[in-house]
Formats: sequence, structure tokens, C-alpha cells
Amino acid sequence: MSSFLKRKSVIAFIVICLAAIFAPLLLPGEPSRVVGAPFARPLWWNLRLPANEEFYCDERGLAFDWDKLPPSVFTLTGRVTADPEETVEVVWVTPKNEFTLATLSGQSEYWLNLDARDMLFKQKLGLPLIGSGASRLFPSQGSYQLRLDGVDSANLELSLPGGRTGLLGTDQRGRDVFTLLMYGIRTSLIVGISATVIACVLGLAFGLAAGYIGGLTDALIMRAVDVLLSIPTLPILMVLAGIWGKGLWQLVFILSIFSWMGTARSVRSLVLTVRESPWVEGLKALGAKRSYILWRHLVPETAPIMLANLALGVPGAILSEAGLAFLGLSDPRLISWGRMLHEAQSFGAFTEGAWWLLLPPGLGIVILCLIFLDMGRWLEEKIDPRLGGGGDD
Amino acid sequence: MKRRWLTGRILSSLGVLAAVLVLNFLLFRIMPGDPVSTIIDPNFSPEAKAHLRALYGLDKPLVQQFFIYIRQMLTFRFGLSFLSGKPVWDELLSRLPGTLALMASSMVFSSVLGIWLGVKAALNRGKFIERLVLRAGAITASFPGFFVQLVLLMLFAREFPLFPLRGSVSVPPPDGGLTLTLDYVWHLALPVFSLTLMGFGGWALYVRNLMVRALGEDFVLMARARGLSESRVVYGHAFRTILPPILTILLMSVPGLVSGAVITESVFSLHGVGTFLLEAVSGHDYPAAGAAFYLLALMTVVSNFFADLVYGMVDPRVRIEGENR
Repeated sequence: MSSFLKRKSVIAFIVICLAAIFAPLLLPGEPSRVVGAPFARPLWWNLRLPANEEFYCDERGLAFDWDKLPPSVFTLTGRVTADPEETVEVVWVTPKNEFTLATLSGQSEYWLNLDARDMLFKQKLGLPLIGSGASRLFPSQGSYQLRLDGVDSANLELSLPGGRTGLLGTDQRGRDVFTLLMYGIRTSLIVGISATVIACVLGLAFGLAAGYIGGLTDALIMRAVDVLLSIPTLPILMVLAGIWGKGLWQLVFILSIFSWMGTARSVRSLVLTVRESPWVEGLKALGAKRSYILWRHLVPETAPIMLANLALGVPGAILSEAGLAFLGLSDPRLISWGRMLHEAQSFGAFTEGAWWLLLPPGLGIVILCLIFLDMGRWLEEKIDPRLGGGGDD
Repeated sequence: MKRRWLTGRILSSLGVLAAVLVLNFLLFRIMPGDPVSTIIDPNFSPEAKAHLRALYGLDKPLVQQFFIYIRQMLTFRFGLSFLSGKPVWDELLSRLPGTLALMASSMVFSSVLGIWLGVKAALNRGKFIERLVLRAGAITASFPGFFVQLVLLMLFAREFPLFPLRGSVSVPPPDGGLTLTLDYVWHLALPVFSLTLMGFGGWALYVRNLMVRALGEDFVLMARARGLSESRVVYGHAFRTILPPILTILLMSVPGLVSGAVITESVFSLHGVGTFLLEAVSGHDYPAAGAAFYLLALMTVVSNFFADLVYGMVDPRVRIEGENR
């Protein structure tokens, strides 16, 4: 057991489980919260890109120096009060030119909601309609100024979501990719492990039935195994996910009914050999009941195979879940790695070159699968020492 | 003797096909809700609803529906798609060559590369190539194919635009037979490459294990003792004995290949049966989805049957085994 705990994959598995449990508690805010501009790069990627900047502005205006690339979004929101007789002008002064963002008159109170992505706003300022308005409002490095002419009081917020946010940037909706990644572990683990557990229980039941009862039961079950093994799984999983809904537990159920066959086969062959062994014969001669032999002797005998099958089955379930989610056949509200890849592909991660949307979930799946494969292989070696390690056959 | 074995194989394939048909029928009948709910508006009058149900034969008893369905499936009359209103079979037929080309070429490339590497690894125990094969086999099993394909797309279609980002053919398609063929090949190159990349590892590992065992047999020692050339020993003696199990794995790889093709077509937006299935499932077009699933399963059953036939030809022991059954 101690050698098991020293195994690197086991340590990694424990770390991942802890992350799955505690990350949602430690990470601030909901995963669906918008934290920055869409497709913002990771914070550490390019230091010349601005991070998220927010400025508060009262009636005296605002002045600051800017030494980075332009932000991706420019929004100015808030409340301004003024004498109804006066004309209010909100002026954006850049090192090169001036923009009159808004001209207001006739009221004592105004609510501003200016966004450089807004077509009408761009048209009014004479900015090109295609492309980012924010980059035109930040033509170069230097000192910038927001001037408010003719106001009594102002309570404005200038929000400049930058091109980089968070550990792993943001997705197409401005959500934090790192948070999504952490929440995604849970889905993969829950689906992978529970689908495999159910499949193993099914496989054990069918394998025991086939091996111990024999006869017609055996023939029927093994025929079903052959048929299920010779049908391509993904198409049928797609159809089932389409018909039976896309929730987490439906997915678990669908995956488990199509992955018990391997376990059933190995349990059956084990039962066939054990059934004929002298000690079972002896038990029978002593008058032991069939159910007693089955539960007290045969089932414990299958335990090592079951454990190895469990660990080796999880990667398959994780990959299937990811595949279905990638095809868009999962609940859109359920955050999973496959779903992240689906959204990356569907919502323009390619045109943005957004590798930070692609690599983290994909590598996450790979690492999780490798961990389970390694644990499973270790268990297999323990069960069957003849297999030996790696290269020395 | 041989005829009996052949009948057995045909019967077994027909059995799988029957199971697929029953499964397909049940899937769409036991689902919650009304199969035509996607095309019937709740506001329709009862007469209109009844008319539509009669049009799709849903007013008949289940047993009668089943026989009608079997006849439709066996004659490939899948009816009209809910989504496009066009015949499903025409649509599937136009997509079949693309899927078959993708599957066949990736199967050929990955098996040839895998077998070659596997034999090399078995001959060079403990060297770099063996370690490569052992690693590749384990790693490719845990890489989701679509992820690798997305990375390849990002690298070779966006960063270094050598290959097209999507589609089976350029829009508009180029004129002339040769240019058109080359255009198809160009669009298929990256999908086939990715499937080969994902597929060769398993082959190589399997062939290496078989070959290591075969090379340890007495008859190989005997062949060497007779002074035969190394290539003759390897390919003429050892490799020939592992040919039947290789064909078995060929047979067993077909269902996985179909699954791989479905997801690959979605990643690369190829014009194939897989994308049709996905569109039908996403659009709740169940008759079309059922037809696409049936076609994919049929492809598997047919290729399994042929693999079985070839296996029987290569391995004389099969016939004896079949006789005992």
C-alpha cells in the first residue's frame, strides 16, 4: 500500500481530487462571471498588453499616463448632473487629438453609457465602423485626459478591460478560463468515475451470471457482448444523448450501458476457471449453497480484476464524455473540458488564435487519462506479476 | 467444411445486423415525448396532427410499425428528413464516399506505419525505436483525437496556413478532374494525418508484442540455423505467423474507426455521414439520425464480415475451429 501511495500518478490523482473539491470554494465568484474582455490573453503572456484597468472620475475629470498597447474595450458609464441651461461636453483627450464623446443639454441629470464597440457611438466620433473602437481612442503612449465641461457633479466609471486577464486568459464571453478549467475537473471526475463504477457493477453481474449459470444465459450474454462490441459506440452515444437529454446523470447512464462488456468478459473467464477449481468442488461437497459460494468466494475472487478494470475504464469514459461534450451534445450550463473545447471551436477561438482556450482543457483530459492508466497498470502488475514492467517483456 | 464456416459467419453478421435494427427501432420509439413533436406545433388542429402522424405511419400498432420500419431499412427507403425535407438516402449517398475515403485511407496509413514500426521495434529490443513504440502506444490511447486535431488545425491551418481550415472541397470547387481530385486530397490530408497519428501507436504496440513472441519461437531459431537471410526469417517466417491476429485487430478496429471518423468530420467540417448524424441529432431530426446510425453500423458489420472472410483464408486453423462450433 505504501508503494502505491508513493507512485507519482497517485500523488497527482490526490492533488487533482483536492483541486476539484476545494478550487470552487477558493476561487472568487461564479465561473460564469465575466471578468474581462473576450479572448483576453493570460496575464503572464505579453506584458505590453494592458491588464484590466478601471478609473473613477468625478466632476474634476481624470488624467493618467498610458504606456501599454490599447485596451480591447472602452466603456464609460455613470451619472452626471449639471445646470439644465448649460451644455455638457465629455471630452477624451489623447496625446494626438481630442474626441468629444458626448454633448448633452436640457436636463439636470444624465446617465452615460458609452461603449466603443457601439456602432452609433463609433459613427458619431467618426471612427471606422469595423474593428476595435478602443484602439482608435488610444492612438499612442502618453498622457490621457477625460475632461468634463460644464458639470456640477459626476460619478463616472471608465472601464478598460485589457488584453490580458487571469492565469489563463478569458474565453469568448470574457469568463475566466482558469476558473472554468478548475470546475471542469469535477465534471470529468464525476462522469468518468461514476460511469465506470456502474459499468463495472453491470459487467460483474453479467460476467458472474454468464460464467456461473452457464447454458443459455451464458450464450445470450456473450452474444450481447459481441453485438455491442461490434457496433460503433460514438454514433449510438450521440443518438442517445440527443434523445435522452444532455444532463450529467443521463450522460453517466448512457456511457455506462455501453462500457460493461470488457469487464463482463474478464469476470466470466475468471469465474469459469475458478468454478472448476478443487476448493469450489469441496465447498459443493460440503453442501454450501450456490449463493454462498457466489458471494463469499467468487465475488471476492474478482476484486483485483475489478479494481484494475475500474482504473483502466475511467480514461475511456472521460474521453467519451469529452467527445460528446465537444460535439455539443452536453448541457450548455454544465462546465466541462469537452464543452470548453466545443465553445473554443464554435465561437472563433481559431480566428483569434486563442491557444489558451484550447491547450488547458485538452491537456487536462490527457493528464487525467494518463493518471488513471498508470494507476490501472500498476494494479494490473500487482495482480499478474508475469506482466512485468514496461520494456522488459 | 468451409461452406459451413461461411454460413456461420453470414448468420453471425445477420444476427448483429438484426440486433442493430431492433436497437435502432427501440431507441426512437421508447424516447420520452412524441417522435414528431419537433415538426408538430402544439397549436395544430387535432386533424392536422392526426394527418401528420398518419404520414409518418405513427398511428399504426407498434408491431406493424416495426415491420414497415424493417422493410424501409432493408430497402434504404429512409423517407424524408424533418429538417431539409429532402430524401435522407440521397443525402447520405452523397456523403458516403467522403466518409469511406477518410476511413479507408487512415486505416491503411496507420496500419502500414504501425506494422512497420512494430516489426522494427521487435527487432531492435531496448533501442530508441522500441521505446518510441511503447510510449506512442500508451500515449495515443489517452489523447482525445479531437484535441490533437484542433491543435493540428491551429498549427497547420492558422499559424502556418498550409491546409484548409474546414470543408471537403474549396468553395467554389475548382474545375477539371485532376485539380478537383487534388483539392479533395488537400482537404483530406490533415484529417487523415491526424487519424494516422492517433492510430499507429496501438498497431505498433500490438504488432511489436506479437512479433517479439513469434521471434522467440523454435521455428525462427531453426530458420536462422538453416542460414536463411534475416529478412527472409523475419518476413517469410515470423511475420507470416502473426498475420491472422493482425487481421483480427483490423476487424476489431473498425467500430473505433467509425467513431473516429464521425468526430473527425465534425472537427474539420467534412461532408460526410458523421456530420450528417451530428446535424440530425442536434436538430432533433430522428428519422435522419436513425438512418445515419444504421448506415454506420451497417458499414461496421459489412467490414467485419469481410475481415472474417480474409481471416479464414489466411489462417487454416479457423476452419477447424468453425467446424467444432
